[in-house]
Amino acid sequence: MSASGRTRRAAVPLARRRFLAGMAAGAATLAVEGCARGDSTSAQPGTTSISNDNATWDEGYRSAGRELKKITGYALRPLSNPSVTSYQQVVQMTLQTSKATDLVKWASGYQLKRLARAGGLTDLTKVWGNYAAKGWVRGSAREAMSYHGKVYGVPLYESYYVLFYSKPVFQRLGLSAPGSWAELLHCAEVLKGNKITPFLASQVGGWPAIEWFQELVTKVDPRFYQRLVAGQASYTDDAARQAMNIWYDFMRKGWMTSPDFDQARGPGALKAGTVGMFLHGTWQAQGMTAAGMKADVDYGAFILPTVRPSTPKSVIAESGVFTVPSRASSHEAAMANVGAWLDPSVQRVWSDFLEDSSANPTVRSSNPVVARLQLDIAREQRIPLVRYWEASPPSLIQGNADDLGGFMAGQTSPATTLRRMQERAQDEWAAWRRDEA
Amino acid sequence: MAPAVLLVTVFLLVPFVWTIYRSFFSDSRTSGFSWFGNYTRFVSDPALSRSIVNTAMWVVGTVLLPLVLGLAIACMTNATRWSRLARLCVVLPYALSGSAVAVVWNFMLTTDGAVNQVLTTLGLGSLAHGWLLTWPGNTLVMILANAWQATGVAVILFLVGLQSIPPETLEAGALDGAGSWQQFRHIVLPQLRPISIIVIGMSLVNGLKSFDLIWVLTQGGPGRATETLAVSMYNETFLELRPGAGAAIAVVLTVIVLAASWLYLRRQLDVKGE
Repeated sequence: MSASGRTRRAAVPLARRRFLAGMAAGAATLAVEGCARGDSTSAQPGTTSISNDNATWDEGYRSAGRELKKITGYALRPLSNPSVTSYQQVVQMTLQTSKATDLVKWASGYQLKRLARAGGLTDLTKVWGNYAAKGWVRGSAREAMSYHGKVYGVPLYESYYVLFYSKPVFQRLGLSAPGSWAELLHCAEVLKGNKITPFLASQVGGWPAIEWFQELVTKVDPRFYQRLVAGQASYTDDAARQAMNIWYDFMRKGWMTSPDFDQARGPGALKAGTVGMFLHGTWQAQGMTAAGMKADVDYGAFILPTVRPSTPKSVIAESGVFTVPSRASSHEAAMANVGAWLDPSVQRVWSDFLEDSSANPTVRSSNPVVARLQLDIAREQRIPLVRYWEASPPSLIQGNADDLGGFMAGQTSPATTLRRMQERAQDEWAAWRRDEA
Repeated sequence: MAPAVLLVTVFLLVPFVWTIYRSFFSDSRTSGFSWFGNYTRFVSDPALSRSIVNTAMWVVGTVLLPLVLGLAIACMTNATRWSRLARLCVVLPYALSGSAVAVVWNFMLTTDGAVNQVLTTLGLGSLAHGWLLTWPGNTLVMILANAWQATGVAVILFLVGLQSIPPETLEAGALDGAGSWQQFRHIVLPQLRPISIIVIGMSLVNGLKSFDLIWVLTQGGPGRATETLAVSMYNETFLELRPGAGAAIAVVLTVIVLAASWLYLRRQLDVKGE
């Protein structure tokens, strides 16, 4: 009995050890297999995978992918990671591995340059050349897609920064979309007089703090903005000071929402008539529809007028890009799809889904508000300007967006804010140029 | 034992040593060795100086509030008729995630949120303002929000402590003529000392590593005004794209947490003689 008892006691830890060892071995095998090749990014016949940070676009990719498949034989398979920060980390890490997706959605401008500089992206200069020959891309967009002369991105969409407004509210108050600075101020005064906050301004989430800055600077002097974001002008120059003083004056008059107003509530606020005008990208048209507003009936949009009539007209454009990792699982298929992405038949479906402007200038938006903006931009020959977020080195923009958020919350004066932005600009441009050298 | 040591080494010690190593390298493209360059930013960068002040405020707030409120609520709800309901109300927030708590408080604290609407309705509109916009008020209201959640666990622990106090000691005190306050001060409080040590220790560490509530409510803004060291570490590493600076903050934060925990526990356990 004692012997059998000892045997039983000895057997228990041995069994537990075996069990644990088995579990550990199983887990290790799974981990190794998982690391070696994830199912999600591995090649799947007839499709190309896309890394995407906006899960609400998945259906649009699938629809556009069905059109692509008719041309290239490959559909699109979106793989979404809705957290922008973790998305960026994952993309940058997987670019160096065999687990890279076939296509990667990324930002243009310096965000793209930074990614291209690290290596791992396919040169798409020939693809761009083909598009340019067909007139399917705007030549002015090339620089924002390039690094050291080579193109690394194909435009995914092209949005413009505009002021959405509620048509019923404007109609009730006898207002119309302002065509000049004086008319804009008149609209704001009337709205404020009727207890409607004229402008939505927000710093929730960080980046929205740049929206009014870029808009006002470009409407004071678009050429200065181009020099400023290229590191050739100072944030303490007159044009920047003038723009910040206008912004400060708007806030002081109570013309802007509190900076902790979440932009996600923008369409609802326009519909409810608590906010008069909402400065945002035209991609917000989709949000307007989701809030139950009909284009050209419930809402309209216009580009902010220039502060002086003689100032050249401009428009801020935002363009995401498709890039192709050199180590994409299905590189050939990815190149085929990126080469057909701007085909009008694909863009028709994609533009309809976004309710926004296509990056292909031959495709007119089916949203009447956006279509009218496209016509206005072409007719007025507005200078296309890269959105501030992509227009300078990322570390500089992130830091300056923080400073602008502080300014909106009343932490700093216009002069102090600009001085800090300039100090950062000097440091970050020096760092960028040092890295380039 | 060996697998545990291996796991701790692989998942804790190696990344920690690597973080220390990385903190001595610059964030330029070539990442050259920069000695203590990343650490000097604590002096030169006002955002990091503010972050240290905020962290200190968080530590004081997250230690004091749950301790005082937890003890008070536990004493008031121990052995009363409605104690179960009261306890449930206090403990419930503890079951929520930090992010969920932040969403609830965001609804309350934004400029057009519930708090300002109530104040305006009560004719106290002059008190309404952007609670999350100005420093140090925004940090203070977030500490209060955190206390709303963290007090629950302190209440549970203090209730366990109160219920383990032998009733004879209280009866003896009463027979000796001790009043309620004297009984609490000289009989209950000393016997709650071990529980208090745990509550303070936990709150101390939670205060030093506070992140989720801040991130969801303000993302450290506006203008980096509400960052704590944990938020600054994330911001520098992932948003400002300066992993070296982020690593330096991580090292400093780890040293502070370890030092504070070690000093506190060593002192408390020594006093208790364990």
